[in-house]
Amino acid sequence: MNVDEVVVESEHDFRIRTDIYTDPDIFQLEMRRIFERSWVYVAHESEIPNPGDYVATTIGRQPVIVARGDDGQVRVLLNHCRHRGSVVCRLERGHAEHFRCPYHGWTYGTDGALLGIAQATGYPEDMPLADLGLAPAPRVAVYRCLIFASLAADGESLDERLSQVATYIDLWADRSPVGSMVLTSAAHKFRYAGNWKFQLDNGVDGYHGNYVHESFLQILERSGEKTVRGYKDLRSTGSVVGLSHGDGFIDRPYGGMAGQFEYHDSRLSRYHEQLRQAYGPERMQAILGQRNLLVFPNLFLFESHIRVIRPLSVNDTIVLMQPTRLNGVNHELNSQRLRTHERFFGPAGFGAPDDVEMFVNGETGMKARGVEWVILSRGLHRESRGDGVWLGGHSTDEAPQRSAYREWKRWMAGAESLASAGEA
Amino acid sequence: MTRAEAELFIIRELRLIDERHFDDWLALFTPDCLYWLPIIESDPAVEPSLIYDDRKRLEERIFRLTAFPPAQEPGSRTVHNVSNVDVLEATGSQLTALCNLTVFELRPGDPVQVGLADQRVFAANAEYHLVGGPDWHIRLKKVWLLNRNEPLYNLTFLF
Repeated sequence: MNVDEVVVESEHDFRIRTDIYTDPDIFQLEMRRIFERSWVYVAHESEIPNPGDYVATTIGRQPVIVARGDDGQVRVLLNHCRHRGSVVCRLERGHAEHFRCPYHGWTYGTDGALLGIAQATGYPEDMPLADLGLAPAPRVAVYRCLIFASLAADGESLDERLSQVATYIDLWADRSPVGSMVLTSAAHKFRYAGNWKFQLDNGVDGYHGNYVHESFLQILERSGEKTVRGYKDLRSTGSVVGLSHGDGFIDRPYGGMAGQFEYHDSRLSRYHEQLRQAYGPERMQAILGQRNLLVFPNLFLFESHIRVIRPLSVNDTIVLMQPTRLNGVNHELNSQRLRTHERFFGPAGFGAPDDVEMFVNGETGMKARGVEWVILSRGLHRESRGDGVWLGGHSTDEAPQRSAYREWKRWMAGAESLASAGEA
Repeated sequence: MTRAEAELFIIRELRLIDERHFDDWLALFTPDCLYWLPIIESDPAVEPSLIYDDRKRLEERIFRLTAFPPAQEPGSRTVHNVSNVDVLEATGSQLTALCNLTVFELRPGDPVQVGLADQRVFAANAEYHLVGGPDWHIRLKKVWLLNRNEPLYNLTFLF
């Protein structure tokens, strides 16, 4: 198989083979060719505000530490002692003066430099300590407090990578009237026994809500917020957009969907007034639209939270939902945003667990053979295409998913066969 | 209420969940109740919880359990055990108790279906604030899951 055989596109057809969700060799290639080469999201600056603060995470399969050094600079360091390969940091997040390997005590600065070797007389005096620091990710860059890293030394800059999607990241970040936010310390964390791309597909899917989230629509009706019928009609408002680089989003105008606020009172009016003053009435409307934004391959920006996909294996995935607190707004508004977030999201929420159920259903169903195609052609006949933009004709269309798989194909190409996971 | 009476109250409360008498379980809670599963020790106004249900939200949760959402189709079977009951404070009208909960959960089905036929075990420290007498009600049920800060698959049943 090569990539042209697993992502098939023609004028009225867009299909992907189910093997890309189930084949462990393809998963290994995805990690190597996409996650361990492209720009991937690793952390938010608010998680490491001070020198010595760190978050330990992964880029693809590789353990990394995102640390702010004593010089204030953010670095992404491989969490791998240069002596015998142990991790030097086991906590998810914290504050450190240095990273000391628990095995033999090799000690590294928060900038990754090797500070000292225990019982150093066991090595020659000319041991090249300067070359034995924690290996840094070759490229790290920040946009609107979102820290991205690439394990490839060469490639387009983050600015080039985000050139199209930056406009929409701005709209997301400007939900704060001062244009900044912090992540909460705790997060909702899912782990499901299915491929990472089930979450990728679903996060920008405007089609499933009426079915998967029927119980949530009924809850909204019971509480008098929206009728089920009215809510379903709203699916015809707004649109979906596919961008270049695999990005895309669902775009629904403000006021339609249930949105961010369960409570409508003077605090909400005050928030709107703040946005109007900060950005003007037109941009305020745009900012307040409901936009589920995918930044390929592992980041979603939602109204209430940052969502990060962490693939563990072909059928094992962690999804983090980290709520945001907007800077510059009333404390209670942020509390209300949290309560509204909890209502739908997280493992005990009234919506997200139903999405995850679709992911494991896909995992089971894709074992069927002879029918190895997922159809992603919805709306192809009614979308308009510009330069690297695919504008869906309806908010239930699959334009964002198609963008994601075009990009998937672009990264996965470059070798003869997808069955070459053993490559160096 | 004695320690033995408090323990029996909790045993019966948990049995209502296991027997899926969800409306009767809900009726045990006061109008100003809080059903709370925190993630970290902090101010709930600042940090998210797994569950932070006031009465309205708890009623929604019970409604959803009977609305056949995908995450509860098939629905969870549970076995709840309570142990280590310790009554900290008790007057004629109020009682605070700490205890440990062990919850076994299973969604029945063919093991080929990912997510089904997988028996899971949850351990927790819990705190109850009961009010009333002679009929007692729950004002607070706070459950500290052992794996509250770890990635989880599905918590759409009752603790």
